[in-house]
This record gives sequence, structure tokens and C-alpha cells, in this order.
Amino acid sequence: MNCYRCGRPLSEKNFCTSCGADVGLYKKIIHTANRLYNEALDKAAVRDLSGAISCLKQCLKLNRDHVDARNLLGLVYFERGEVVSALSEWVISKNIRPKKNIADDYISLLQENPGRLDSFNQTIKKYNTALAYCQQDSTDLAIIQLKKVISMNPKFLEARQLLSLLYINSQEWERAKKELERALRIDINNTTTLRYLKEVEEMLPTEEEHGKKKKEAIVYKSGNDTVIQPVGKKESAGLQTVINIVIGVALGVGVAYFLVLPARLRQAQEDANVRFSEVSEKLDEKTVEVDGLNAQIESLMQEKDSLSTSLDAARGTSSALQADTDLIEAALLHMQGGGAEMEIAAALALIDRVYLEQEATESFRNLYYAIKNDIAQKVAKNSYDAGYAALRAEDYDVAIENLERAVEYDPDDGEALYNLGNAYNRSGNTSLAIPIYEQVVEQFPNTEKARKSANYIKEIRGE
Amino acid sequence: MINFEEELKKFHPSLEVEEAERTIKHQDLTDVVDVLVRVAKDAKEEQGN
Repeated sequence: MNCYRCGRPLSEKNFCTSCGADVGLYKKIIHTANRLYNEALDKAAVRDLSGAISCLKQCLKLNRDHVDARNLLGLVYFERGEVVSALSEWVISKNIRPKKNIADDYISLLQENPGRLDSFNQTIKKYNTALAYCQQDSTDLAIIQLKKVISMNPKFLEARQLLSLLYINSQEWERAKKELERALRIDINNTTTLRYLKEVEEMLPTEEEHGKKKKEAIVYKSGNDTVIQPVGKKESAGLQTVINIVIGVALGVGVAYFLVLPARLRQAQEDANVRFSEVSEKLDEKTVEVDGLNAQIESLMQEKDSLSTSLDAARGTSSALQADTDLIEAALLHMQGGGAEMEIAAALALIDRVYLEQEATESFRNLYYAIKNDIAQKVAKNSYDAGYAALRAEDYDVAIENLERAVEYDPDDGEALYNLGNAYNRSGNTSLAIPIYEQVVEQFPNTEKARKSANYIKEIRGE
Repeated sequence: MINFEEELKKFHPSLEVEEAERTIKHQDLTDVVDVLVRVAKDAKEEQGN
């Protein structure tokens, strides 16, 4: 113990040996504070938290620097679910003695676990909300809220007391009693709890009345429920239970069949109808689209036909012009003379045969054949020579081209025809060779060419 | 018989964590020793006068 004036340690004397202050009364105050602290310790040990709080508050009124008393007060508050009050006491205690103070541990315990502190705060907020509901006469909501509070912090004494008060108000005496008994387990000597409990016990039936009721009914607990069974009624046997279960299942199936199933079916049908109408709408849209596209195709086809016709007409005009040009060129070359027979033949070859036979004018045809006849002998000979040379040289494409021209300008030239067949045969084009050989056999019978041609035909046909 | 309304008035909103600082600041920490020192001081001043 230190002197209140100079802070030096005091002796057993009633005055300070350092500053001379009279410390008799001061010592008595400190001793009383210590006695109150000890008393609070005893009360806290038997969970008389209210008594402990009272003693500790008095102790701190006498000596505010009593760190142990302040720490204990914090602990007691914490035990009653009053977290903020507990924290306040511990913080003040830490300010009084910053080092070697157990309050440090308590504060750290809360601060190191923010989730827990937040949970406590939520509990407090819910309690305050419940209190507000009570003041607004919304007792049902308040009960729900308080149940949540208690489930989150079962030590919250005031919440239990308020809940029991609400039960008392709604005359739910058994529930109120249960809640008050739990509150008593937290703080055994709380006057509010005791007062409420007394009230509840007065309202509950006495032992005698209870005994009478017991005769009329057997009361027992099944889990959290209290079951009241009339005395005359026997407990269900195993068979009875099975029958009850079967009846229950049958009822369930019946309900499902008559109530749930039709509703489900109706719902499913409605869904299907909705989907069907959606699909129909889409189908209609697509049909309209397809019709539009068909119309477009038809129009395009008409346009194409028209363009094809125009193109054919243009081509006809173009081929006529081209044929005229080619014939004029051939005629000019013919008029110039000087051994240009092969060039003339080339110019004539450019003229379209179909045009010549079907569309060309009579004079055009006359001129064409006149020129052709004039150069026929020379062209046939030159072509045969070139074709035969190419055949010997195994250049079959050139050979065929020249020999065909030779046959064209001189159809009676059997050699040219026979060698044309050979050119086709040796180039592997046997399908064209056969008719040529047949022509040789037919046109030049009893000749060596005919005999050879017949042999080639047999050879090709594998006879 | 308990009067619900009257009893309800005895319940007060619990302090929330956010209010802890304010509660600590406003707590009256005066003890009997403080009173005693003040009385002694006042008596001494009176004697001095």
C-alpha cells in the first residue's frame, strides 16, 4: 500500500513515514475495498454474479485503482454476456496498470478474433432490436429475435430475462420458467430473475393440483416436447405403429395423387401449350420467310432465262460475224495465191460447222466450198505428209490432227484414212480407231489396208 | 403480479462495441480516496486563510 499523497510505501503506522500524511482513514478505506473484493470473489465462485458486481462496484468506488477488482468485474460482465461493459473495465484496468496485467490477455483474446467480436456485436444489435419490437408491441417478432440472440450467445442474461418476461406476458408459464431457470444457472442470485420466477411459480399449478392432473393424465417428455397422455390410454403397440405408418403413407399417396399430381399435370400441359404456341409462331415466321425466298428464286430464274436468251442471241450474232471474218480472211489469202493453202485451210477450219450447215447463207456456203475445193488437193497431200511423218515419229497428236485434215480434204485417200486409224490405235484411243478401221474395210475392200484394218479390229476386240 | 409495461421500462438497450470508447471516456472514476484528498486539501486551505 502506498501513500495517497506522496506515493511512497506505507508502514504499519497511521501516518506516512515519508511525508507525514495521516493515512489512518485511507488505510481503512483500502482495507474495506480489499474486503469487498474478497467478498466478490467468493460470490463469483458460486455464480452469484449480481452480488459480485455489487461488491466490485463498491470496491471500485472506494479504490478506483484496484486492478484485480476491475478485471474481475470485467470477467463477471463478460460471463453475463455484457461484452462492451467487460471490455470497458479491462481497458481502464490496462490504463491503470499497463504492464503485467491479465486484462491484456482478455482484450487480446477478443481483438485477435474479430469474427467473435463481430458476432457479439451482432448479438447486442439483435437484442436492441428485440427491445424496440417490445416497445412497439410486436412481441412475436421480439421473441423470434431474442431466440436468435440466445442461440448466438447463451450467456446473455438480459436477453433471457426479457424473453421470460415476454413469455410471462403471454402467459406461457412453462416456457417462462424454463428460461428463468436457465438464467438462474448463469446468475443464481439475480433479483430480477428471482422475482420473475416467483411470479411464474405462483401462476403454475401447485403440487396438489399437479397431482390431480397426474391422475387424469400421464405426462412425460419426448425430446423437447411434453406429452400428456390420458391415463386410460395404453401406449401404442408395435402393430399399431405399423398400421399408423401404412395409413400415413396411404394418405400421403392419396394427397399426391388427387392434389399434387393433377396440379403438376396441368402445369406441364400449360407449359407444353405455351411451348407449342411459341414453336407455331416460329414455324409461321419461317414459312413466310421460305415463301419470300421462293418468290425471290422464281424471279431470279426468270431473270436468268432472260439473260441466257440474250446471251445466246449475242453469241449467235458473234459467231456469224466471226465466221464471216474467217471466210473473208481465207478468201483474201486464196486470192493472193502463192502457196498459202495451209493458212487458208487453217482459216476455214475456224468456221463453225454447225453455223456453216444450218445458219450460213447460200452464198457463204458456196464461197466456202469453192475455196475449199481449190485448195483440197494440196492441203490433203501436205497434211498427209506431215501426219505420216508425225506417225513415224510417234507424235500421235500431231499425226491425228494432220491425218484428219487430209481425210477431210480428200475422203478417198485410203492411206490417209488407214493411217489415221493407226494413229488413234497407237495413241491408245482404240474406241476411235475401230470406226476408222471399219470405214477402211468398207470403203476399200479387198485391199491390203482393209485386211490389216480387219486384223487390227480383231486384235483390239481380243477376238 | 408483474406489470409488463413497467418491467419493460427497466430493460435498456445494451451497449454496442462502437460505443465502448465513449463509455470509457465518460465513466466517472472518482473514488472515496479522491474525495478524502479533496476534503483534506480544502481543510488545509481553510486553515491557511
